[in-house]
Amino acid sequence: MPEIAPRTVTLRLNQQQLELLDRTLPRAGVTDRAELVRLALREAAEQEAAR
Amino acid sequence: MTRTLISEEIIAPGTGKAIELLKGQVLRIEQVEGGQCVDFNAFNLHDYKEFMHCGRTRTVHGFNPSAGTFLWSAPPRENAMMYFLADTVGRNDVLFPRCSAFLYESAYGFHDHTNCHDIQAEAQREYGLTPDDVHDSFNFFMFTEVEVGGTVKIDRQSSKPGDHVELLALMDVLAVPNVCGADVMRTSNFSLKPIRVSVFQASAEDLAQVPALPRLASQRTPAQFRNPTIKATRELTRDPAYRPEFTNAPIREETLEVALSGEEAAMLDRLARRELYGDDDGAALRDVLFSWWETRFLTAANGAPSMETDAAG
Repeated sequence: MPEIAPRTVTLRLNQQQLELLDRTLPRAGVTDRAELVRLALREAAEQEAAR
Repeated sequence: MTRTLISEEIIAPGTGKAIELLKGQVLRIEQVEGGQCVDFNAFNLHDYKEFMHCGRTRTVHGFNPSAGTFLWSAPPRENAMMYFLADTVGRNDVLFPRCSAFLYESAYGFHDHTNCHDIQAEAQREYGLTPDDVHDSFNFFMFTEVEVGGTVKIDRQSSKPGDHVELLALMDVLAVPNVCGADVMRTSNFSLKPIRVSVFQASAEDLAQVPALPRLASQRTPAQFRNPTIKATRELTRDPAYRPEFTNAPIREETLEVALSGEEAAMLDRLARRELYGDDDGAALRDVLFSWWETRFLTAANGAPSMETDAAG
């Protein structure tokens, strides 16, 4: 299977969604929004693989 | 401490009764002959605009709530008005609204027929409420199901003499049970029977059963309304001084750049719901993000207060 190239994804988030992300940072143990999104992606992928 | 009986009466078929139930009192609704549906509404005794809301209640507790759940008031109050303390049958309905005269005329050809809306209206008229103040009812002992495909059906019920439900008032309420008027459908097994209603002063054991609930800022009172005045005219006319103040409007979007490694990009490609978002990676990743958040952090279903976590905090 060919390797997937790294890429940058642009999310559009409103002020309410950003507020929730910011409140989630300490609960998730990460320090910035992009890091939180990557954590969500990795954990979601793990959950998907476990099914 | 044992319960103290305060009052007891029989509600005859085709009728209902408005009962003042104070905080800390228990209302028992009991089968006399069995097989009778009891429709139920409740109002804040000191502010009738706050009332038990089936939509809110079924959102939190599902279509067939039983003991261990709450009867909630409508937004923006969203208070637990009553605690469902006991239920010897375990089958109730908050899906069907209440039967009405229209139903019996349109489907059965009756000019006049007992129906829950009119019974409820007549019972609560004792407290100055109008037929427009009848709300969807909590239907005790009513057996309903949602079928595959989304249709709903009513079936016969199995309650026996002595079966009962008990509701503990968490605020002063006007409780209005009525004997469902449906004798030509399965709701009450094709007959109308009397119901016994009893009011008790709750025991310490009763009160101890109520789970702790958080008090949230969003549980508003009329003092917080931009318009707290109850409208006294039927005609709707525009307020020329109105200026909209919608919460958090205008909604403003910002962009967030997220650099993904090749491995993470592959994860996104596996998880992305392309049938919804096409090649919009940002929308697909946003879906992954908030779906993950629900799984990881949402502790209560469908917007219910997270009793287990928030109340403890």
